[in-house]
Amino acid sequence: MTKKRNRLQVIRDILSTINKKNGEIKPTHILYKSNLSHHMMEEYLTELISKKFIKKTIERKGTTYSITKKGKDYLDQYKLIISFTESFGLD
Amino acid sequence: MANIFVIPSWFLNYGMLFELAFAIITLVVGLFAFRIYKLSEQKSAKLFGISFIFISLHYFLQSFLNFSTLSKINQNICDIMKISDINSLNIMGAYSHMFFFLIGLTTLVYMTLKIENKTAYALLLTLPLAAIVFATNKLYLFYAMASILLIFISIHYLKNYLKNKQVKTLFILIAFIFLLFGNLHFLVSVNHGIYYVIGHFLELIAYILILLNFILVLKNDKKKK
Repeated sequence: MTKKRNRLQVIRDILSTINKKNGEIKPTHILYKSNLSHHMMEEYLTELISKKFIKKTIERKGTTYSITKKGKDYLDQYKLIISFTESFGLD
Repeated sequence: MANIFVIPSWFLNYGMLFELAFAIITLVVGLFAFRIYKLSEQKSAKLFGISFIFISLHYFLQSFLNFSTLSKINQNICDIMKISDINSLNIMGAYSHMFFFLIGLTTLVYMTLKIENKTAYALLLTLPLAAIVFATNKLYLFYAMASILLIFISIHYLKNYLKNKQVKTLFILIAFIFLLFGNLHFLVSVNHGIYYVIGHFLELIAYILILLNFILVLKNDKKKK
């Protein structure tokens, strides 16, 4: 059985999914790739927008999400973040 | 304020250096936690950073108070700050150093509770601080309060180790257990000087483990890059 992902890992998965799609993605793709329920995904996306990790754009074609510099920094430093939070019991 | 320790005279200088080392270690780890907060926006990292900064301030102040007593510069400080007598300065210093440590530990306990409620945090902070202000034997109560808080923190790190069995999580668990035992030794050191020394050595082991843990985090990061 695979271990349950923690919040930081889910955020990493969403951000890397957006990043792989040239930094811009539709919500249905995120839902498909992040392995979350629709409700949970909405919750995470709202959190990521408020933390300025992603940006929401509403156009004629539909809604897209793009990764910000802060989001990319999170992905770059993810190993350090997870190592520190696990070691010092912050997760 | 009853604030008399039986500190062996040969240990005064070493004690001051120990406290300075603890202050630097906690400051570095605390500042790094703020860096992690900036990257991840994780509130627990911010609370951990605040907690360690307060603990660091406690040790800096404790070290400075011992230094000022030893070097007798406290009279000069009184003159500069226009404080009438040295005793007032010592009481102010002692209160601040107790408050800083209790604020640090309470913040850490609040972080482990994983709740987001400012009123609960304010209540947690007020209770030990108010108790110290009104207590007759402030020093006993301070170490008793700190020990209780450290028991809660140690339980959190025990759970963290059981959830995630790694050397790093074991180090941090042992570190907080040593801090707890160190505090219990300070509790009895009011009458026996040797316990004050043992308390410092237990704290030294604890902070060496915290430092090792921090170095392991940085080393792993470099390896992965």
